[in-house]
Amino acid sequence: MRTVKLTALLVPALLAALLAPAAQAADARLALPDFKALEAKASDSVSVTLDSSLIGLAARFLDPNKPEDAAARQVIAGISGIYVRSFTFDADFAYPREQVERLRQQLSPPRWQPLVQVHNRKDRNDVDVYVAVEGSRTTGLTIIASEPREFTVVNIVGSVDLEKLHQLEGHFGIPKLNLNEQQQK
Amino acid sequence: MTDDDLEAQLRAALRPIEPEEGFAARLGARIARERALRPPLALRFLWVPAALAATVVVALLVAHERELQVERAGLAARQQLIEALRVTDEKLDLAYRGVNDAARRRAAGDTGV
Repeated sequence: MRTVKLTALLVPALLAALLAPAAQAADARLALPDFKALEAKASDSVSVTLDSSLIGLAARFLDPNKPEDAAARQVIAGISGIYVRSFTFDADFAYPREQVERLRQQLSPPRWQPLVQVHNRKDRNDVDVYVAVEGSRTTGLTIIASEPREFTVVNIVGSVDLEKLHQLEGHFGIPKLNLNEQQQK
Repeated sequence: MTDDDLEAQLRAALRPIEPEEGFAARLGARIARERALRPPLALRFLWVPAALAATVVVALLVAHERELQVERAGLAARQQLIEALRVTDEKLDLAYRGVNDAARRRAAGDTGV
């Protein structure tokens, strides 16, 4: 009788322990709306869905001799999912703000912590950067950027090294900002 | 019919008969003719290496096609990854710029510029 009770306790505990990492990683993945209506309105759209197997496959085809590939390889170490939805419009604020708000509602503490929130009235753009934190390590990153003619959601699942992400500057056609130099001036 | 009659009939039916004149020569000639017509052993089993070679060629073609498919999928995934990182980088850049602008404005306000 005692054995049966112990088994009944141990099996769920073991299952929970085994499934915990997967559950943690899954928690950092946002439930992205399908954005079908938005895609129809957009003049340009980018939709990227990369799970861990596709990231692994992509990594095999990164050329270490190309700077952008080498930078990408460093960034994706520890990442198990990248989901990007980006839409460009011909008119200002053609996207429904409710969808943006619904996304923001998923990014609530204690799992998600706001890292950077930029609300620029002059340029009319809002950029919110959130990180998912488990103990002392980040398990996810989400960026919601709404500009007058562009709406972007980036959801990265896995341990994100922000320093390495920042090192992407200067690659992918993005000009280097030299933030540190400017701060020193 | 008595047993003796049956035995006599059996003996008559099973009596040794001498072959016709030239039977052995005709048989020998026929065997030689058929042997000459039959392809040699190596030729008879020529289809085995041919089938093996065909199997290898088909297997190589399938493997090559599969490799091409994996390569196409890999290059597409790489392209998507680069695109995703480009967008991420662009938006982080926007955030950094916003933070930097705000810090600069605060610094300018503090120094009275």
